[in-house]
Amino acid sequence: MDIGALQKRVDKELSSIKTIDDVRKAKVSLLGRKGIFSEYIENIKLLDKGERKGAGQAINALKLHTESKLREFEDFYGEEEKKKREAASRIDITMPGKMPLAGKRHPLTQTLDEMIRIFTSLGFSVAEGPDIELEYYNFEALNIPADHPARDMQDTFYIKDGIVLRTHTSPVQIRVMETQLPPVKIIAPGTVYRCDNDISHTPMFHQVEGLMVDKNVRFSDLKGILSMFVQDMFGKDTPLRFRPSYFPFTEPSAEVDIGCVICGGTGCRVCKDTGWIEIIGSGMVHPQVFRNVGYDQEEITGFAFGMGVERIAMIRYGIDDIRQFYYNDIRFLSQF
Amino acid sequence: MKVPFEWLSEFVVIDMYPQDLAAKLTMCGLEVEGTEEQVPSFEGVVVGKVIGIDKHPDAENLVLCMVDAGMEILPIVCGAKNVAVGDKVALATVGAKLKDGLVVEKKKVRGIESLGMLCSERELGLSDDHSGIFILPEECKAGHWLHEEAFINDVILDINIPPNRGDCLSMYGIAREVGSILGQRAKTPIFSLETDTQQKVKDHISLKVLDADACPRYVLRMISGISIGTSPFWMRNRLIKCGMRPINTIVDVTNYVMLELGQPLHAFDYHRIRGKRIEVRLADKETAFRTLDGQEQKLREGDILICDGEGPVALAGIMGGENSEISGTTEDVALESAYFNPLYIRKTTRRLGIKSEASLRFEKGIDIDNVGLAAERAIFLMNQLSGGTVMKGEREVHTKKELKTMFITYSHINGLLGTHIPQEDITKILRSIDIHIKKESEEGLLTTIPNFRHDINEPADIVEEISRLYGYDRIPATRPVSALSGQKRSPREVSLNAAKEFFKGAGFFELINFAFFSEKDVENFLVLPADERASFVPIVNPISREYAVMRTFIAPGMLKAIAYNINRGAKNLRFFEKGKAFFLSGEGKPYERTAFCFAMTGREAEFFWRDKYSDYDFFDVKGIMEGLMGVLGVTFSLRKTAEPFLNPQRGADILVDGVQAGWIGELREEVLKSYEIEQSTYCAELQFDIILQKVKLEARYRPIPRFPQVTRDFSFFIDDTVPVGVLTDKIRGVSPLITSVGIFDMFSKEKKSVSFRVIFQSYEDTLTDEEVNRLQETIIKELTNINGISLRA
Repeated sequence: MDIGALQKRVDKELSSIKTIDDVRKAKVSLLGRKGIFSEYIENIKLLDKGERKGAGQAINALKLHTESKLREFEDFYGEEEKKKREAASRIDITMPGKMPLAGKRHPLTQTLDEMIRIFTSLGFSVAEGPDIELEYYNFEALNIPADHPARDMQDTFYIKDGIVLRTHTSPVQIRVMETQLPPVKIIAPGTVYRCDNDISHTPMFHQVEGLMVDKNVRFSDLKGILSMFVQDMFGKDTPLRFRPSYFPFTEPSAEVDIGCVICGGTGCRVCKDTGWIEIIGSGMVHPQVFRNVGYDQEEITGFAFGMGVERIAMIRYGIDDIRQFYYNDIRFLSQF
Repeated sequence: MKVPFEWLSEFVVIDMYPQDLAAKLTMCGLEVEGTEEQVPSFEGVVVGKVIGIDKHPDAENLVLCMVDAGMEILPIVCGAKNVAVGDKVALATVGAKLKDGLVVEKKKVRGIESLGMLCSERELGLSDDHSGIFILPEECKAGHWLHEEAFINDVILDINIPPNRGDCLSMYGIAREVGSILGQRAKTPIFSLETDTQQKVKDHISLKVLDADACPRYVLRMISGISIGTSPFWMRNRLIKCGMRPINTIVDVTNYVMLELGQPLHAFDYHRIRGKRIEVRLADKETAFRTLDGQEQKLREGDILICDGEGPVALAGIMGGENSEISGTTEDVALESAYFNPLYIRKTTRRLGIKSEASLRFEKGIDIDNVGLAAERAIFLMNQLSGGTVMKGEREVHTKKELKTMFITYSHINGLLGTHIPQEDITKILRSIDIHIKKESEEGLLTTIPNFRHDINEPADIVEEISRLYGYDRIPATRPVSALSGQKRSPREVSLNAAKEFFKGAGFFELINFAFFSEKDVENFLVLPADERASFVPIVNPISREYAVMRTFIAPGMLKAIAYNINRGAKNLRFFEKGKAFFLSGEGKPYERTAFCFAMTGREAEFFWRDKYSDYDFFDVKGIMEGLMGVLGVTFSLRKTAEPFLNPQRGADILVDGVQAGWIGELREEVLKSYEIEQSTYCAELQFDIILQKVKLEARYRPIPRFPQVTRDFSFFIDDTVPVGVLTDKIRGVSPLITSVGIFDMFSKEKKSVSFRVIFQSYEDTLTDEEVNRLQETIIKELTNINGISLRA
């Protein structure tokens, strides 16, 4: 058995390796099933018993050496190969990426959702009512009789005698109280309608109305709840104030102003130089409203509030024309 | 209402800046919407007192006045004729600037030095009056700035009076509020009326009130021998500042006193009152009457009329008649000051659609106790401004009513507000607004309400008064006693939200359209009259033709939005909208339904440098529908559609449990053309209420299979008449071991070839080749048994 020839063969093969492919070929021809080492190992059987041990050891040593050498080559040329592949994979990473399709919710529903989130976390549940409403629910039940001066405050769309498009979501208050005993804690988000169409009015818009009725509901609670809402909606440090006002269905009534977010209170066009923006109308439920739904106004008290979603959204995003919400211009919708 | 600060200061002492007062008023319920500073258009003009007048030696039309300018006496040459010794005048000294920037210089007029000029109102930019020198009231101090002495410098508060606070529609009314804030009592004007002892009102006119409910108080006063002219500057100035136009000394006084005391007044030309009598009554039949604005009014039963011996001379509380109107030559005036029941006035103004400053106040209710004072005040001012003689006495009918009394407990007040306001503070606040305390007890107060407070009718109204004057900012902010626990949203809301979130994730933009559309939209969509969507709800007073009826479906709005955006350069749009649709229902109230609509047009994107996009087709919109229903856990099927606006080849009805829940497909060209859309548009609309009943949102865990899955592909030739969609269900039905069936290829050469990929999966053990082969055979057999299907080799 010519171990020297094997040694020569191995040296020759190893020295001729130049690429990772050469490594693979050498592996097959040297160490493969039909490779030279297999051949030699097979041939050991043919040797004399005495020679077998020495030859076996010599072949094994050489095999181990070969294997380790090949691993070295593999690592080396493999690395080189990988570098070449990487180099060849060059692209211009400044080319634009492919964006997945992404839509957006309307800024009004985003704002409305946020408002609902806050109020539901404060214990209010959501109630709904019809857009086409009985005049009674929209006005009389809310202490706004037919010739009441407050009716001048709103321009109503009429459907027919006694039926209107609701001018506020307050009728939901009445519908809920007519069917449910106190305690009542609801908000009523929805679409409302008024005959108005200019830079600051659209014939349809959105409101969130709130109502809390129970034993011992106090004006101070109204202040508490609305303060929590304002701070959650506009930030912890938002200044706010409660100012006396008039609504036929609340007494006492309060308007809630927040510090102007545009000018920070120094005065601008949006806040009419007052530093304050009016955002919520509110008050303690008028005893007449309780009488109208058959609640015992000696036993229970309550507060109600209402706000325009458009107005909140305009403040939130800095939008200056309410009509933008209804043009449905993609250049507008994609901003939010 | 416009409130000049200087005028307001006549009734109360205000030792603060107007802006600070404005802030206080706002926080007490009289919102000051703005403060407007009045600045004169001249500079350096002072009050001068004429102490001597000499003829100009060289000019007949000129005089030389010696004018006391406070520190010095100046010679001024002047051409006006209306100046007399002792008059206070507007004196522009050398260096003064007049209107239009004209600077007064020292000059010689025909040899006589003039150290300034006396000015007319026009030269000062105060009015168009150039008939003579601006003569000032006597009390103006010589040498002082003109703009300060004549109240040209002022700050006007623009106050938003709440609709229930008619008592604040006057300077005195506002002053009363200011007084209660500042701890003072507002003063009524001080004057002393001199009357003739010979001529008595009762000898010249008679008065009868036939309906005490309509008119509980009516006062007539008279002045004779007046000469009507232009009102003095101070009065005109105040009227103008309040937004009223000066007319003449009589009309101006009625307006002035209305602004001052809140009492509307009416002046009749005495000689035009027929029969020398006044009768207040309700109209009993339809009559025509010409008001002084020249309009013919149709009067009806229930309108309050002021009549003379022959017929109506005024529409009470609203407007006088042409037939008794004051003119430039009126010499004798009968003045009306009255209280008319607000309900009557409201009814009449509402019906006739006319409004006046007077009716505005009567409608809200004036102070019945002030009727006499206002008459006296006006007749005094008329006398001052127009001369003449004030007749002695008055004619008056006054049906007195008891004051409202109300008992209120301290616990009610503090309980409702969440405060601990001490009893003495409560009484102090109530007294400051003229609420009289009749009796005090341990529990509370028995109060009487002054007549001018028409808004206080029950204890809650008193609580409001206390709270606003106590200060809302002093009331604490508390957490409600009843526990607050977070609320879950209803399944309906959760489903709506899931749908909206799906659309957002699928690249759709949400729209909000007005809930109105027009009859034209129904026509554009070729909807037949028998269709439910043609029974729309009309609006009696729509904002425009375009928005004349309530929408019965959303798709038209969707197309308008698409057209709007295409016109502005967009091409590829994906929109959705959730909203209500409205339908007539016989005699009753119209009913409402919630609908979802979505539309897509163009393609996914205009370009991407690496790939090409193809235009949207039916399968894109169908895929969205599948995705949506998948999210909601609703199974649905398609059926051939008869919707008139859909391309019948590429449209379908959506069925949920056999019930039609909507439609989907390509809109017909002619429909798109009606909205000026030229590109193919796919759209779908769903009735959400039907879907909602089937929604399954709860997720349930199923173990992940531990055994490998097996995939096999099948290809068949399929005739065009066979709908392929059904076949996937058929294959799936072969065995529960089939977990997925997909179509991965379809092409048509001579025949249509369709390739399915079927995935087999067992949860119990590893599937053997034999098992799968057996199922494979079944699939092939099931499909090839169908007419028009053969296995592709």
